[in-house]
Amino acid sequence: METFFGSALDYDYVGAWAYITNGKHLGWYASVRWTLGAAILGAGFALFFGLAGAMMKRSRNMLIEAIGSGYVVMVRGVPDVLFLISFPLAFEVGIETLLAYTQCTLEERAGVLWPPCVGAQWALSDIEYFLMASVSLGLVYGAFCANVIYGALCAVPHGQIESAIAYGMTPRQILYRVHLPQMWVYALPGLSNVWLLLLKATSLLSLLQIADIVQWAERLGAPNYFSFAGLVHGDWRWRYYLVLFVFYILMTMVSEWGFSKLTRRVSRGMATQGGGDAG
Amino acid sequence: MGELCRLQQEHMTEQPTILLLEGICKRFGALEVLRGIDFTAKKGEVVAMIGSSGSGKSTLLRCVNLLETPTEGRLVFKGEEIAFHQTAQGQQPSNPEQLRRLRSNLSMVFQQFNLWQHMTIIENVMEVPIIVQGRGRDEVRAEALELLDKVGISDKAKNFPAQLSGGQQQRAAIARALAVCPEAMLFDEPTSALDPELEQEVMKVIRDLAEEGRTMLLVTHDMGLARDVANKVVFLNQGLIEEQGTPAEVFDNPRSTRLQQFLRASAA
Repeated sequence: METFFGSALDYDYVGAWAYITNGKHLGWYASVRWTLGAAILGAGFALFFGLAGAMMKRSRNMLIEAIGSGYVVMVRGVPDVLFLISFPLAFEVGIETLLAYTQCTLEERAGVLWPPCVGAQWALSDIEYFLMASVSLGLVYGAFCANVIYGALCAVPHGQIESAIAYGMTPRQILYRVHLPQMWVYALPGLSNVWLLLLKATSLLSLLQIADIVQWAERLGAPNYFSFAGLVHGDWRWRYYLVLFVFYILMTMVSEWGFSKLTRRVSRGMATQGGGDAG
Repeated sequence: MGELCRLQQEHMTEQPTILLLEGICKRFGALEVLRGIDFTAKKGEVVAMIGSSGSGKSTLLRCVNLLETPTEGRLVFKGEEIAFHQTAQGQQPSNPEQLRRLRSNLSMVFQQFNLWQHMTIIENVMEVPIIVQGRGRDEVRAEALELLDKVGISDKAKNFPAQLSGGQQQRAAIARALAVCPEAMLFDEPTSALDPELEQEVMKVIRDLAEEGRTMLLVTHDMGLARDVANKVVFLNQGLIEEQGTPAEVFDNPRSTRLQQFLRASAA
């Protein structure tokens, strides 16, 4: 016991504080903006693609229905890691191909270099990578959202729609005034699952060269044997990853709280178990 | 309350025809539900449709506001013929604008009430006048409160439908139906989902409406209600009108054996 307290008292708290508040660590904390930003923006895109996909799946037009169903089936089938790294690359090469036609000469285009000339090079900034990552997340998880929303739209009792038809509402009015507002109570549990998956997928951002919390943790935790580069320590990556575990669990708890608030809100009046006593 | 919706009762003159149905047939695949129905409803008439389950009376009512599209036949609303065109799936209404006008002039009261669950009672009543008819919110609110008072649930205006009893919900649904100033009201078994006590409070409201001279089409299993409020009773059997006439003619003097059977069974 004595040694325990002794070591606890001897511990260099000031040094530890200085270490975890040095410039590199502050950079790490600030990189949370990429993770949370991509999660929120990605969720926005996912909701948009999800609503669009669900509507298309319900369309009476067979072509539109096939596009909606195809999106849901195919994108759900591709591993998110693969999609996340391939979509931005494909997009980049696509833009460069377009640029090549306007910027490069015929001989340059015939060569083996890519991009064929300097003018066709499209160097992506951090922000652009970040935006593309968000769109990719939105596309992947939008397919899951589409299925959840499709099911929720089907779960709205037919009588609710029928009375709207009987009173002469237009299809658009029925959708916005009755169908969508009533859909949320059935969709939210599924959407909260998708949100948590999406949130966790933000740990893949480093694959797109974005200096997110995972990449920072890896760099900071890597063993350092040179005192001029900072504190000398062995492989501390596990400690840094542990911090990330805690971060993601905290985010999950915040999400759960948020979703329970939302659920209460959208269940107002709805004759479901959640809404029976609310209002 | 009669001044709401500028309802006029003209006792002396012959009343104009609101609805004219001619040769209405409805098939669901091989199943023939309606087999040629001719039928008119004049302004101020209360028509009760009776018949056993499967006789087609609910389908007929749903053909009037085109919740079901008749496979064949004409439908004329206030002298205006409803336009249809032929498609691979049979006849379809061809003018969405006309269809919406027809529907917003014929308000329906459903067996299961079908109040919009996510809106309060007053929002339910105000929805169609504001959204479909484009009337002003303040004017509609005042009228909606008056209507809720009329059906006796003004204290429930801010509640959600799920918080009300079945009878209260059905009365709210009737207020919603009245709010659109309908030319005719369609009741699809309005008391069938209610227990006898709650049934009474809804029946009283329907009776009051009949006395006001509202045009109503009423599908019901309740022979007492039909006899009470209707000036015309239509008996449907296997997709055809078997007999029609005043309540006295139909209930006290049934001619066909099928109607006699039906009335005996209903009385039992």
